[in-house]
Amino acid sequence: MAGFKAALINELEKLYRKKKVIVAAIVSLMFIILGQLSITVIRSGFGIRGVSSTEFPLLVLSVVVNTILPLFTALVTIDSFSGEFSHNTMKITITRPVTRLKFFAAKISSIFIFVLINLTFVMIFSTIVGIIFNSNSFTLQGIIRILVSYLVTLIPMTVLALIIVLLTNILNSGISVFFVTILIFLLFKGLGIIFSSYSSLLFTSLLDWYKLWITSNISILKIFRQFMIMLSYDILLFTGAYYLFDKKDF
Amino acid sequence: MEKVIEIKNLSKVYKNGRGIRDISLDIHRGEIFGFLGPNGAGKTTAMKIMTGLVTPDSGDVKILGHSILENFEGAMEKVGCIIETAESYPYLTAFENLRQFARYYKDVDSKRIEEVLEITGILKYKNEKPKKFSLGMKQRLGIAAAILSKPEVVILDEPLNGLDVEGMIHMRNIIKDLAEKEKTTFFISSHLIHDVELTCTSIGILYDGKMLNVDTTDNILKNYVSLENYFISEVERNGRI
Repeated sequence: MAGFKAALINELEKLYRKKKVIVAAIVSLMFIILGQLSITVIRSGFGIRGVSSTEFPLLVLSVVVNTILPLFTALVTIDSFSGEFSHNTMKITITRPVTRLKFFAAKISSIFIFVLINLTFVMIFSTIVGIIFNSNSFTLQGIIRILVSYLVTLIPMTVLALIIVLLTNILNSGISVFFVTILIFLLFKGLGIIFSSYSSLLFTSLLDWYKLWITSNISILKIFRQFMIMLSYDILLFTGAYYLFDKKDF
Repeated sequence: MEKVIEIKNLSKVYKNGRGIRDISLDIHRGEIFGFLGPNGAGKTTAMKIMTGLVTPDSGDVKILGHSILENFEGAMEKVGCIIETAESYPYLTAFENLRQFARYYKDVDSKRIEEVLEITGILKYKNEKPKKFSLGMKQRLGIAAAILSKPEVVILDEPLNGLDVEGMIHMRNIIKDLAEKEKTTFFISSHLIHDVELTCTSIGILYDGKMLNVDTTDNILKNYVSLENYFISEVERNGRI
């Protein structure tokens, strides 16, 4: 475990020093402020109520989960793999006393931690903004709903991250990976609309699975089924991506 | 003498037909082994296999008794290396780069990091980022990273690339000093034949992916005027030059 721990700390340090986290935080903050400004404009201009303080973070999440969160996850994942392949810096760690499996797992863990930090940041700031601008109906139940929604969103994002990791180990160029990811994302979104009865099998439809956790009638069976689908995705993608990573010559 | 590196029937052939074929070699503790060969002979391929960057088609390498295929962590625990180019993260300072490497070893602290920066002559640049470094400075940082953990085995592929004359002499002295005092074993490839002659205690010649001969530098220099003559004669015997 010592090798994994060292690799994980190193990966987190690299992430932090490349300022990706700070950029993600600034863009997320701008996103939240813009969202709140739009609601304020709608409220004062059209006399529509908009959202309550606890609904605002969930509104932000519904937009973020389909836009900037996948975007930043893609950028960080591509940078962590394709970026290091092209800059030849992958060999710095591979020639150290750590197995490729531990190194690979540490890289993926650091991406997951980044997604979690990004989600936490958006959650905290959207909640604060929600309290400041929509000072009504703030309850403990509302806070729990926000917390659960943001926390469970991590799971579908791990699937997206692992799809990108697999692509980075197949395609040489980071730009190709980025565009193929966008194409896959759009294709799956389209398939989800056309074949709506099978949409629960597509990872893009699973991005909204947090809604299952906050409905008035929670279906444990449905949550379990979707969780197992995502877990299966994760296991298959991790295995496939690691197989390619392990066979790679540097 | 104790065998530190054991290479057994190592083969790796790329799609273009280049690579190495059935190489076997033993390196003993405290030796400074020079790996000589023309461009494309397979030196870097062999060194990449030894450090886990490339998987061999067949054969194995044991470092300090640990197979790189079966116990990679054990094999690399006491190894430092530079393969092809001394890479570093351009967005981290020299010190932070070495701290990244240090986390993989038990007893490497900030004091040791400063010590290796001092040894390689770049201590005053410790807070600068390598993207501003010259090739020679990057190479010095690479050497600092290679010797950071006080390794028992150091594998260096063209370690003198980009160094000026002063730098070359400095590095040669570091290598000789570590081999003599710490009994560190070196496995070095270089195209600078004169430097190999001055630094290495034994020489192996690789030609067209095959190991032609291995001998001590003293023995070679008893029979030949210089290492260059020996190299030409060995390669000639095998049908080139």
